[in-house]
Amino acid sequence: MSQISVTGRTAIERATTEARPVYFPRRKKGIRPRSIAILVFLTMCAAFFCVPLYVIVVTSLKTMDQIRLGEIFSLPEVWTVQPWLTAWNDACSGINCNGLKVGFVNSLAILFPSLILSLAISSVTGYALALWNVRWAGPFMFLLFMCAFVPFQIIMIPLIVLSGMLKIYGTVWGIAIVHAVLSMPLLTLIFRNYYKDIPNEIMRAAMMDSGSFWRTFFEIILPMSGNILIVVLIMQITSIWNDFLVGLTFGGLGTQPMTVILANVVITTTGEVVYNENMAAALLTAIPPLVIYFFLGKFFVQGITAGAIKG
Amino acid sequence: MRIRWSRWAPELALTPAVAITMVAFLGSMVWTIYISLTRSRRFPDYEIDWSEWGRQYARLFNDDAWLIALKNLLILGVGSTLAIGFGFILACLIDREKRGEGFFRTVFLYPLAVSLIVTGVAWRWLFDPNLGLQAFFHSIGLTWLRFDWLASGDTAIYGIILASVWQGSGFYMALMLAGLKGINTEIWSAARLDGVSTWKFYTEIVIPMMRFTFLTCAILLSLGVVKAYDIVVAMTNGGPGQSTWVPAYFTISAYWQKSNLGYASAAAVIMLLITAAVFLPMVLLTVWQQRRSGRVAA
Repeated sequence: MSQISVTGRTAIERATTEARPVYFPRRKKGIRPRSIAILVFLTMCAAFFCVPLYVIVVTSLKTMDQIRLGEIFSLPEVWTVQPWLTAWNDACSGINCNGLKVGFVNSLAILFPSLILSLAISSVTGYALALWNVRWAGPFMFLLFMCAFVPFQIIMIPLIVLSGMLKIYGTVWGIAIVHAVLSMPLLTLIFRNYYKDIPNEIMRAAMMDSGSFWRTFFEIILPMSGNILIVVLIMQITSIWNDFLVGLTFGGLGTQPMTVILANVVITTTGEVVYNENMAAALLTAIPPLVIYFFLGKFFVQGITAGAIKG
Repeated sequence: MRIRWSRWAPELALTPAVAITMVAFLGSMVWTIYISLTRSRRFPDYEIDWSEWGRQYARLFNDDAWLIALKNLLILGVGSTLAIGFGFILACLIDREKRGEGFFRTVFLYPLAVSLIVTGVAWRWLFDPNLGLQAFFHSIGLTWLRFDWLASGDTAIYGIILASVWQGSGFYMALMLAGLKGINTEIWSAARLDGVSTWKFYTEIVIPMMRFTFLTCAILLSLGVVKAYDIVVAMTNGGPGQSTWVPAYFTISAYWQKSNLGYASAAAVIMLLITAAVFLPMVLLTVWQQRRSGRVAA
């Protein structure tokens, strides 16, 4: 009995495999039903990912009168940019009603020094660890690897105390430096992984030219780092711009980045929630990283995955 | 071959990084651990009473808010694995059906570019019971559908999970897609010729081959879950009541709202322990993998 069923199954299997033409995924002509099913499913998922964006954009262009009617998917009856202007100029975060523009300026002021500082430190460190004979490089990299994953809370309080002693607590510089410090381990590992693949011959040739540590770095290594620099740059820009916790912890009155001001605007509202302004504020905060994402998507993906898979 | 002369230059160049590691990371960690053993309240108090060094921890584990935070961490961790599963399915379908690959990848990944605060704010609006998605569903007759999850303490954490799955799936999709592309197309053709069913092909060939990708995803996810803070603040700010507190939120609030240094430090130390428990397997695995690939090369 069992034997019959076994042979029967194989026969059926053989029949189906023989009946079905041999299928090569690369060579396709026309649309198969299965393809259509997959595409329909993927489109539905795409809709799930797009709905929030659509709703935010539409809401930010509506008047509050229309929002009160419900119908979150409907297009604005009266298109208005007033919520955007209000969010930018006069949205209230706590007692200050100076809008998000303050935060925008702060975020930029944090971004640039932090980028320069973190890239300078981590590229040089990565270069020294990858290409020079440093005896304790192994244990040090292990340490960096651990530091890259430490939760911020465990070092938060001492950093507050330290930055207080250095008189940078509550300043834009303080936030920028903390960002540079926190990102140093991960960025160093990324640079180190990139530099370790530089062929030995190049380093040897550099030595023949009596290249010193710094000359080799500036004249040979740095010009070869274009790719990794842009990847790290994008990774840093988005993570610094999108940061909330560091800005909240180290920002003083008037030096908070845009995300913190957005959170204050949305969370501390009393009375009726002005959704159109809130959504406009959220969009204003989201635009810079989204622009980077859409224009430099490939590097963005490389950046996030480089940050993820290492070692 | 590495270079002999200018011996001190590299070590000098490493000083800033070493200083940062020693002071900002290691030193700070030791400081926090030390403070967690003291009675410090608003200001650091460096005296340890050895007869009850664990008093902050004892208090911590008698605090309902902390237990809620730990429970939420667990729920969040389990719930967020949906993002990995979803990401895997999306990656398989995109990889299978090459049409529109660029478009779908772009759409699925864009939430990741947006900050978690913005994500939280957006979903907070969609969850508004009177004007958000629920009102829409009710207006088209689906009155049994409830979408006011954030309003109730029992369901609020699931709202946060939904928003973080929305934000994070694309990331796991990108990692999985890279993993899938690493699988040789010959394996595909071979499986076809052998008449292996699609289901069997994925469960018995693809998933085992991608176990390292899955593990990486799982570890990154757990590290992300331990750090979850922004999205909680933006969506519920811990509420209703204390129902959506997570350890990261608890620690920050113990420091800023209760201004209790010792207590906040103790909570942070537990966070560190949880992170270590997730992180150590990853290190061991990496070391093991390197050894293995080294042996193959040799």
